[in-house]
Amino acid sequence: MIPRRTILTLVALCAAVVGLQAVQETRRPLGLPPGVTGNVLYVRSPEFMKRAALSYNALLADAYWVRTIQHYGGTKLANDAHKQYDLLYPLLDLTTTLDLYFDIAYGFGAVFLAEQYPSGPGRPDQAIALLQKGLHAQPGKWRFAEDIGFVYYWWERDYTKAAEWFNRASEMPGAPNWMKPMAAVTLAQGGNRASSRMLWTQVLNAADADWLREQAKFRLAQLDAMDQIAALDSVIEAYRGRTGSAPQAWADLVRAGLLRGAPIDPAGRLYRIDPSSGKVTLAPDSPLNPLPDPERPA
Amino acid sequence: MDAIRTEALTKHYTSGFWRPRPYLALDALTLQVGQGEVFGFLGPNGAGKTTTLKLLMQLIYPTSGRAEILGKPVGDVGVKQRIGYLPEQPYFYDYLTAEELLEYFAAIFGYAPAERRARASKLLDEVGIGAERRLQLRKFSKGMLQRVGVAQALINDPEIVFLDEPMSGLDPLGRREIRHLILRLRDRGCTVFFSSHVLGDAEALCSRVAILVNGHLATAGRLSEMLAFQVRGWELVVSGLTEAALQKARALGHVTGAAPLGESRYALELPLTPPPERILAELMAQGARLVSLNPLRDTLEDFFVRHVSGDARARPSTSLGAGGPEPS
Amino acid sequence: MKVVRHIAVNVFKESVRDKVLYNLVVFAVLLISTSYLLGQLTAGQDMKIIKDLGLASISIFGLLIAVFIGIGLVWKEVEKRSIYALLSKPMGRGEFILGKYCGLVLTLLINVGIMTIAYYAVLAYLGWTADPATRTSWPASPTDPAMLEAIALIIVELMLVTAIALFFSTFSSPFLSAMLTPGLWDIGHFNDDLRNLGAVTGSPAAASVARGLYYVLPNFSAFDVKAQVVHGQAVPLSYVGLTSLYGLTYLALVVLGAATIFARRDFK
Repeated sequence: MIPRRTILTLVALCAAVVGLQAVQETRRPLGLPPGVTGNVLYVRSPEFMKRAALSYNALLADAYWVRTIQHYGGTKLANDAHKQYDLLYPLLDLTTTLDLYFDIAYGFGAVFLAEQYPSGPGRPDQAIALLQKGLHAQPGKWRFAEDIGFVYYWWERDYTKAAEWFNRASEMPGAPNWMKPMAAVTLAQGGNRASSRMLWTQVLNAADADWLREQAKFRLAQLDAMDQIAALDSVIEAYRGRTGSAPQAWADLVRAGLLRGAPIDPAGRLYRIDPSSGKVTLAPDSPLNPLPDPERPA
Repeated sequence: MDAIRTEALTKHYTSGFWRPRPYLALDALTLQVGQGEVFGFLGPNGAGKTTTLKLLMQLIYPTSGRAEILGKPVGDVGVKQRIGYLPEQPYFYDYLTAEELLEYFAAIFGYAPAERRARASKLLDEVGIGAERRLQLRKFSKGMLQRVGVAQALINDPEIVFLDEPMSGLDPLGRREIRHLILRLRDRGCTVFFSSHVLGDAEALCSRVAILVNGHLATAGRLSEMLAFQVRGWELVVSGLTEAALQKARALGHVTGAAPLGESRYALELPLTPPPERILAELMAQGARLVSLNPLRDTLEDFFVRHVSGDARARPSTSLGAGGPEPS
Repeated sequence: MKVVRHIAVNVFKESVRDKVLYNLVVFAVLLISTSYLLGQLTAGQDMKIIKDLGLASISIFGLLIAVFIGIGLVWKEVEKRSIYALLSKPMGRGEFILGKYCGLVLTLLINVGIMTIAYYAVLAYLGWTADPATRTSWPASPTDPAMLEAIALIIVELMLVTAIALFFSTFSSPFLSAMLTPGLWDIGHFNDDLRNLGAVTGSPAAASVARGLYYVLPNFSAFDVKAQVVHGQAVPLSYVGLTSLYGLTYLALVVLGAATIFARRDFK
């Protein structure tokens, strides 16, 4: 059988390998100069790649799509102060050039691109460019037009443009019937909470991915919180009118018979009341933080 | 001390991946070969000859039993220094020339560069490889590779050489040369252990033989003493034999069978007695002319056939799992 | 040990006769033609691209040699039965494995050595012909000796890949080894991700399995300092030393494992 000495040596070497790997783990990783990502995309020209792919365009598009997701997800999760999403747009461009009908790549790609730094590159302009490319390839796709409207609405806060794109979407074949009122509401009321609520409710109903659904739920909870804060503000106003001073705590309002108990936000945290100004805010540890700017509600 | 000694050497192979079944390649082989012997290891294909040689070279490990060469267990590096081995249907690095191959092996034996060249050149002369020795082995025919194989087995002036089917792949001329080579080795005092499935090779060379059938040792000893291979009559071919002379000889019991070969030629079967010279003289007196006279005896094939059928009757469970692939 | 040397030299001879070294011609053509083409296109950045490309090619050509010779090395001897005559010569099976391994490492070293010389020659030429304005934009000298650190680690990495290829070659077919070896190499480059998997996955069982694999699988990503040297970032010698020690220990384990498996094999 295997000699004892050989077995002992093998075991010792195994231990040494694991030990050295543990030592390697503790050492400081080698850095790169700030601003250098080490990300490399060798072929950036979609036109070249399209020719080089021969007949395997769709397959190559899938591969680039997987790489896109890895690049986006990996960068988002990375614990790096200088992280860069520098390959995101070129990869999406390659993917959608290789496969013009890669609908998820347009839709999700736009979401990735528009997301604010550090959760994304914060490039709504690129998101819109990508969707317009999709619309160019498939002119009747109302989803892309709606998504463009969405990017204008949510990230660019350009309600005129948003309404224009919702309107355009509503005229495309198969567009849902709420698209037309959405355009009207957006145009008439700008970015108020009612139109935001409508937008996110549609996203929630139409979402085909869990994370998008979660995102919509989160935004709707934020809108609920903003509605509640507005209501609480008016209660405090009523208290002030009655007593001439701001309430010090929720208990004051309960004693005055204006509230039945201390109010909690949709995430289950107590609202805060600022004793000096009488302003209502979310608890600092509430997961709904930060709420969108109250002056320009989402 | 015996040159080679095996004790109940046994090898099972397992065949089949999902349900491994043992297959008995060699069953309890006990054998001794003395120093200076030329020992023939005979048997049909698949009898276990190559298995035995691989066990002796420790290319495979025995399931049970022991094997020794020159008093040391097989695989001993010191012993390997003193032996040579020709594998069955040898194949060598085809990117080397014959010369380079022999020099490479000589280097492994630890010879100095000048000595390597001298030995390689001498041995290639001896096995009849001429100017081709500077060609890469990929250009070599099967017969030439066989010769190179024999040469490499002798590179260290071994005390024992193991030759697995040394005659295979050779033309009659080549077979004769190898036969002469083996005899020269014997004269030098080298022990030769070779396997073959041809009885004639063994008859011409061996002091002793062992015959292996289906992994069992069927018989071992001197060929001349083996009952199975005693002369049991003669075959006489004559021409110009008249019908009358033939009838007379038959009546006397001097001819037990006759097959006409055409143009008054006959192949006659004669008994052991009276001596064939006498019968021949009688026939020649009646005008017949001698074409050839050969002893009649069992061939190795006859022996195998007889032994296998007898064996099968005597021992119903010859192999543990019939149907496995036969190693050769 | 002399036997090991003879076997090793024979492996090298085989690779030369099988025209393995022709890869060097491809390497040289690739490097020179790209540097010429890039010289026409960009200013300043071309030095970085040539450096990237050169180091990447050294590593990739080396990998191809290590894998494609490594996986056939022992298998071919067994399959073509040339091993029968060889093992009957005075040597142990361990010496055979070690000899084969050393031969392949020798082939690799000579190959990488020649590629390195060609690499530095091209860089020196480009550095010499560049105008002073371009020169100031470079983060490091064209013939920065620090790149030898990256090449040294590439060599240790290739030695480990060779050992792994040889290991698979002792018991499996080249087809299987050709999938397993680069597969392991690939996984080894995502080693850091295995460590971080715990943070991403919800399942503690998966996280601990990933962590276990992180310690056991070869950490090839540690050998990659190409980006650092190209950007003129200092790689401490202690880093090179520790990583090399890790690589050499790992390969000793793998070669001994190969020899142990090989020692028990039957050559049917």
